[in-house]
Amino acid sequence: MLVGGDANAAAAEAGKYGADKLFAAGGDELAVYNSELYGTALAAFCRAQSPDVLLMGSTAMGKDLGPKTAAKLGCACVSDAVGLKFDGAWEVRRPVFAGKCFTDVTWSTATAVVGIRPNAFVMAEKAGSATVENFDAGTAGVTSKAVVKSVAASSGGTVELTEAEIVVSGGRGIKGPENYELIEKLAASLGAAAGASRAIVDAGWVEYSHQVGQTGKTVGPNLYIACGISGAIQHLAGMSSSKCIVAINKDAAAPIFKVADYGVVADLFDIVPALTDEVGKIRS
Amino acid sequence: MKIAVCVKQVPDSETRINLAAPAAQLDESGFTRVLNPYDAYAVEEAIKIKEAGGEVEVTAITAGPAAVKETLKKDCLAVGCDKAVIITDPELIGADEMALATAMAAVIKRDGYDLVLTGIKAIDNDSGQLGVLLAEQLDMAHVSTVTKLDLGDGNLTAEREIEGGKEIVEASLPAVLTCQKGLNEPRLPSLPNIMKAGMKPMEEVSCADLGIEVPASLVTVKLYSPPHARGECKLIDAEDPAAAARELARLLNEEAKVI
Repeated sequence: MLVGGDANAAAAEAGKYGADKLFAAGGDELAVYNSELYGTALAAFCRAQSPDVLLMGSTAMGKDLGPKTAAKLGCACVSDAVGLKFDGAWEVRRPVFAGKCFTDVTWSTATAVVGIRPNAFVMAEKAGSATVENFDAGTAGVTSKAVVKSVAASSGGTVELTEAEIVVSGGRGIKGPENYELIEKLAASLGAAAGASRAIVDAGWVEYSHQVGQTGKTVGPNLYIACGISGAIQHLAGMSSSKCIVAINKDAAAPIFKVADYGVVADLFDIVPALTDEVGKIRS
Repeated sequence: MKIAVCVKQVPDSETRINLAAPAAQLDESGFTRVLNPYDAYAVEEAIKIKEAGGEVEVTAITAGPAAVKETLKKDCLAVGCDKAVIITDPELIGADEMALATAMAAVIKRDGYDLVLTGIKAIDNDSGQLGVLLAEQLDMAHVSTVTKLDLGDGNLTAEREIEGGKEIVEASLPAVLTCQKGLNEPRLPSLPNIMKAGMKPMEEVSCADLGIEVPASLVTVKLYSPPHARGECKLIDAEDPAAAARELARLLNEEAKVI
């Protein structure tokens, strides 16, 4: 189900990953994301098609739109799913306490809105294309009490943390804000997102949008490189589902080594620039 | 202006959770419980609006057992909220956010508020749905993940965090906002103010008092520890940093195949 956007392009993309049919709701009022209008469109679609589950990404938009749609339908809503199975009944797996434990949930309503955490599933390409069917969502004339006036890109980070395949994070070991560029350079060489511990965000060295942990972002990339991060429990919660973890820290007793697959007990100022060079060699 | 702040008491972020076997619910009896850190931004923002002048009343609303009173007193009333409402229904303990939103919306409708503030999510169940669900049930505007707020006369302008940037959103009042880190720096309560907070009104209501039934839509099948078992950490000899970096890069490329 596509709301706004280019139906033909979306049908080609969705078809590539196995969709047979794309419903498309268009109209000038749907050109830019709006919670009220998009929620109205999706609720109308669910009433017409009665899906068991309405899946969407647990992105900034999905976290806004999912509950909105569920509230309009009076149905169950599940955020940040990392597993989904149907065996007579639906069961969705999701992390709670930022990944310190997991829960399997199901629901008693006819439909459920389920947000899928970015990177949680492998995208398997299948040759195919989806046919397009226009859907009149009845949003023409619907007014919204909140309207987006402008959008501004943030400075710095080019890769979004929660969607990145590789994350390089820095902690207190970087000693000062001027040294965060060591982390950014290694991240750039890997095409990675740059993350940070709560300690250096609270110290004002790095913007909050970089924070990984229970009070920041939860990430699960293929590779997580922790530089000068001791591994407080609330930080580990936010990154321990990463597939491969590297720890670089002077303190051999740091808890980060307990969750790491590879560890280097050394000063990050010695290792990180050298690693940046080595990655450059491999990548070229 | 009347402001409602919807808060939750949660286990502290340093809490360790070890489940020996899958369980239907978590035994939280030994946990240190605190105000949900994101709700602290909501409380602080409400108090800042009150301090900016005009006739402003701030009410903290929560659901939970008697133990939430301590958090309400210390982290809400002692820092400047005027009163608190606790929805003390056993059915709401461990309930999903649709149920919580229904109960809190009933209090908000009963008392009438111009602005409703809450955190972007509670750090225990991490769902982050409450604010949006409240807005829909109350037929109010909402802006989620707010990092900056300017209140106008009958309207507001808010900055909202999105992937790789921010949106500037205009909304009419009444409205629900979910508060993100960066919005403000929550203050700490002073000892005299904690003492005085005991004098502020704290109302306890049940769902029956509010004339509502709690909708149960989500069912927890089980809770369990993370399924990823990790092997030993492979330590790389760091005698020579350049050689260590080379070896690490080689392992990540050839063995782990992640770069």
